[in-house]
Amino acid sequence: MLEIRNVTVRYPSMKDNALNSINLTFHEGDFICVLGKSGAGKSTLIRCLNGLQKPASGEIVWDGLPLSTLHEEQLQKVRREMGMIFQHFNLVPRLTVFQNVLTGMFGYRSSFKNLIGWFTSEEKSLAKQVIQEVGLTDFMDRRVEHLSGGQKQRVGIARALLQQPRVLLGDEPVASLDPGTSDRIFSLLKEMHHRHKLQTIINVHDVQLAKRYATRIIALKEGEVIFDGKPEQFTDDMYVHTYDASGYSERPYTLTT
Amino acid sequence: MWFKRRSIITYTLLALFVYLSMKLTEFDLSKFRDFRNMIDFLSHWFPMDFSLLPKILEDSLETLAMAFLGSFFGLLIGLPLSFMAAKNTAGAPFVYHLTRVGLSFVRSIPEIVFGLILLTALGLGPFPAVLAIMFHNIGVLGKLISELIEASDPGPQEAMKAVGAKNWFASLFSILPQIWPNVLSNYFYRFEVAIRTSLVLGFIGGGGIGQRLFNDFKTFQYTAVSLDVLVIMIIVILVDFFGSYVRNRVI
Repeated sequence: MLEIRNVTVRYPSMKDNALNSINLTFHEGDFICVLGKSGAGKSTLIRCLNGLQKPASGEIVWDGLPLSTLHEEQLQKVRREMGMIFQHFNLVPRLTVFQNVLTGMFGYRSSFKNLIGWFTSEEKSLAKQVIQEVGLTDFMDRRVEHLSGGQKQRVGIARALLQQPRVLLGDEPVASLDPGTSDRIFSLLKEMHHRHKLQTIINVHDVQLAKRYATRIIALKEGEVIFDGKPEQFTDDMYVHTYDASGYSERPYTLTT
Repeated sequence: MWFKRRSIITYTLLALFVYLSMKLTEFDLSKFRDFRNMIDFLSHWFPMDFSLLPKILEDSLETLAMAFLGSFFGLLIGLPLSFMAAKNTAGAPFVYHLTRVGLSFVRSIPEIVFGLILLTALGLGPFPAVLAIMFHNIGVLGKLISELIEASDPGPQEAMKAVGAKNWFASLFSILPQIWPNVLSNYFYRFEVAIRTSLVLGFIGGGGIGQRLFNDFKTFQYTAVSLDVLVIMIIVILVDFFGSYVRNRVI
């Protein structure tokens, strides 16, 4: 179980808190979409969960373990149980699909073995298996920079799956993809969510996508949770409140000054 | 429209600096009145004395070896140091500052000064020259590569941390593939510079074709000098070609 207790995050460059005393509990089996405007604190929330971002106060608790009490090595063990995918995919450039996916295993192996790139045939076949799951078998030996955006995100997903994680975190994984590709990526994520029993927590901008796939929606605004519930409870009014938008008559606020 | 009164001051100052610099460097085109002397002098360079070719090639090989070893050891030592001299990978601020200061210190000492010191201490020959080239290149490559590291995309590094890799390994593994073509490109440029440097180091007793060129010149054997120069030019061009070939293969 993953819990956020009273977490506040502050960036030195910003006046307001990125997250303001947030409390959330994530249950196994949920497919959670986090909504909110840019700067609402979505990314910060996701990055706190695997310790990439340290809270100023409060605590992230994973399986009863408060992350702040862990030292570096223990934190790395927690991280390998949480796969993460990113908006800009964050693949290692100039390596092939296969090589990139293999990096998902790095947390389980010694740095020396990782450095010389020595993998057992068992490890390699595990990697091939996840590559097949995301449908990239034909592109295994292709360098990642020669792939399309959707394919790159599939590599990201395969890398995360190879960690054999219990949690999958997504920091705007479809924000730079077209609507059709976004939908296919989400349906792949949903499939993996069921097959690998992943607890999935993903940031999205696309409300339609969130309502279609999520089992629970969380909306953030100015570092605070303003909605936490079932997708069907996320009404149009809530949408307007979350995004400060009024549907088709959106008024650019810069004109009022 | 674009000519401002303030520009007059700028141009006047610029003209003044050019004039002063010409005075200081005794820049005087009227000296070309004796241009005939130069042609006369250069005519002594030909025909080239090809009987010396085997010895010249042997010395060239020594020069190449000096330049290669010096710059390669420079890369070998400079590369790890560059990670300590980059803000995003240094870890502690004092490591970053200390390495930066150290690198600019070795960089600020010209190879010829290293050469003069080491040649006195270790005796004549190519070995002190290799060390001189190495020291300077540690400073130069360390700084250049640290700047590549600082400009690299932080995304992959974050991803490698997220899979649970150790922090130092996450940095190394995600940054090195990104900067590798540029590292090679910088290295080959430094290799090329090292060839020219080793010529100068030859003048002060560092061996190689530089020393031969210097000796031939001082003993008025101009038909040998011309061949020395020709061979040096060919070597520099070949290294340049080889460098761009390797770079294209890597990218």
